[in-house]
Amino acid sequence: MKSKIAERILAKIPEETKIFVDKYADLVVLINSVLKEKGLTQKALADQLDKRPSEIHKWLSGEHNFTLKSLAKLEAELGVTLIEIPKPHKAEREFTLDNGTTLKVYVNKDSVLNQEIPAQTDWVTADSMEQTYELSHVG
Amino acid sequence: MYTFELRVWYDETSRCAFYTVQRDGSVDSETDAFFAKYEDEEAEWHDESNQLLYLILEKIGNTYGATNDFFNRPENRAQALPPKPGSRLPEIVALGFNFPLRLYCYRISPSLVVLYNGGFKDAPSAQESKDLSMKFYDAQQFTKKIQEALREGMIIVSDDGRRLTDYNGNEEIIL
Repeated sequence: MKSKIAERILAKIPEETKIFVDKYADLVVLINSVLKEKGLTQKALADQLDKRPSEIHKWLSGEHNFTLKSLAKLEAELGVTLIEIPKPHKAEREFTLDNGTTLKVYVNKDSVLNQEIPAQTDWVTADSMEQTYELSHVG
Repeated sequence: MYTFELRVWYDETSRCAFYTVQRDGSVDSETDAFFAKYEDEEAEWHDESNQLLYLILEKIGNTYGATNDFFNRPENRAQALPPKPGSRLPEIVALGFNFPLRLYCYRISPSLVVLYNGGFKDAPSAQESKDLSMKFYDAQQFTKKIQEALREGMIIVSDDGRRLTDYNGNEEIIL
């Protein structure tokens, strides 16, 4: 069962609104979870952030826009990354298969694969062994 | 106190199902009436209403369920959405401290929430807000009746925590 009005409105919600609410809710849940994990109250966090009371009040009352600097301070205090900016991606390797298909390999150098990716028979052919070797070194 | 039907509003969400109430003689449920007020793109608080709907269906309904993160604004018996920000992040204030709309609700469990009506908060308290005072009172009354019915076994929560039936297993619940 879906409310017809809710469905109608949901279908027209702009992407920008969805992104904003996604990030809002994810931040609230993440910060609450970190505070709980660290056994911190919101007041203790305010004390640790060492902000002037008037400034804290402005944050709480929404009179201040949140700045990147404030976010950095909060990340440093909590010891977690709250917002991650993805690095620009560019193809590290490009292969052209016999059938003309171009295969592009993108690498995230900040992440390490600790597991072997099981070979799949339909991926590996005698002709593409060299390419398979290259692929195994890009992680 | 008026008679009302307690019925499903939106349950095709994976983490939490939503019920609503519809007064005897009303064309719309209370929650449909709330969102219909702001549906027109020219309506004041249209964007805020969109934010609230998306928060409810996508973040509570499909992502997190009705956790404490989203229900920290108790209003006597009932509760109001959106939640106060659980942090000091003014960027998220638009759904928190300065958010203009309130939608009353009653959380039965992390996977079952009854949504009521709400409106624009233009005073420090709901009781002083012209658009909210009656909705606030109604929310208390709806919740009181639902709590009593649950306590007395007139309505029962299903084993998976997402569905309500009366003591005979009927899904049509009139209170």
